Amino acid sequence: MHDVHQREAVAAGRPWRLARAALVAVLAVPASAVSADHDMAMHDHQHVDAHELAVGLAVEAASYDTEFYVGSYQGVTPSLTWMHGRFGASTAITLYHLTQNGLSRYGLGDTMLGGHAIVLERDAIRAGLAIHIMLPTGSSLDNLGMGHTMAMPSLWASWRVSPWTVAASAGYSRALADLGGHNHGLAPLVDPMNMQELAFRAAADVDLGHGMQLGGRAQGGVPIGTGSTHVFGGGRFAWGTPRVSTGVELQVGVAGDPFTVRGVLDTALRF
Amino acid sequence: MHSVSLGRVLRAGRCLCLVLGLAACASNGAPATPTRTVCPDPDPGTLTWDNFGMQFMADYCTSCHSSTLSHSQRNGAPLYHDYDTLLGVLEIPDHIDQYAGSGPAATNTLMPPSRCPSVPGGALDRDCPEPSVSQRADLSLWIACERNRPHTFVTSARVPGDSLAR
Repeated sequence: MHDVHQREAVAAGRPWRLARAALVAVLAVPASAVSADHDMAMHDHQHVDAHELAVGLAVEAASYDTEFYVGSYQGVTPSLTWMHGRFGASTAITLYHLTQNGLSRYGLGDTMLGGHAIVLERDAIRAGLAIHIMLPTGSSLDNLGMGHTMAMPSLWASWRVSPWTVAASAGYSRALADLGGHNHGLAPLVDPMNMQELAFRAAADVDLGHGMQLGGRAQGGVPIGTGSTHVFGGGRFAWGTPRVSTGVELQVGVAGDPFTVRGVLDTALRF
Repeated sequence: MHSVSLGRVLRAGRCLCLVLGLAACASNGAPATPTRTVCPDPDPGTLTWDNFGMQFMADYCTSCHSSTLSHSQRNGAPLYHDYDTLLGVLEIPDHIDQYAGSGPAATNTLMPPSRCPSVPGGALDRDCPEPSVSQRADLSLWIACERNRPHTFVTSARVPGDSLAR
């Protein structure tokens, strides 16, 4: 995703160098933090022997028009990512301003904790697994959180032949709650998902040179049992260096009313 | 160690059957609301839309939950959750019980919220009036009975868990 520094990206022995940026940036994307989850995978994740710490900040703005609500929201998401060798961990939480049917309110969203590992590592191919836990710090009554702890294990793989990088991930998301007694369908208004679903994500990026990268995204979920299929797609432009990377993404809701249109600006700094 | 006679087992079985039978009779086969409120059989008819429901909704709900309010005037109330008509209530009776009703299983106080508009669709400029627990119990009982009464209109469930098409 953020293989923005082409010269370094093609340097011998370091084809995935900027991949770390990708991972960090992906995890820094707020609204996608939950579902983008699997993304780390998809993108370049470099096997680093030293400890690496990264901080990210993302801002997003979206409008939505669902069956029951019309409005918009804005979010700010700080994130923290740690990587070492084949393993990594991350956390992110979003502060939202949500307007729904004329009511304006502020509040925290759910907190995302993640861990991942590289299982397969070849010159052009990486694959691994990840698990994300979403803690219900957001109010479900205010449409800012699921109201349940969510567990989201996933598998991911990415393939890179310069200047192209293609990635995909698939996972299973489930509320750690009695699904038989309560099922609220697609929720919350910010970054909605089903209580039990199969989640997927696909991405393709091309290095443009001079530290720039252009790509496309598709992401969504298919409910298991009651719920709604939700899908969105978008385009991304990113630029930066191995230490600092920035990206802007424009997304459009395709199915299930995840949102009408959403813009995300994210940046990450690695140490 | 106790020895249980066959006669005692049979007597216990008859008692259990009687209890279950009375329960089934009292509920008239209709499912309980989420607060486990059951309409007696026969329906006493003491709580109706005209003598209870309409006023309850006007006192506590319709300043936001009204079909006359546009989405920007609803102060966050979901679309299609309109309680200014009996039809609107019967679209999602279980949902109302889950948020504001009281019964053997729970007393739900999620609604009304803390702040309400003085005039329908206005700013949230006052503390919301709160129904008493007794009024919430009456709400659940009325819902449990009203949804089983014959009506000339047809409802369609819009909220998961509310299947009231009749």
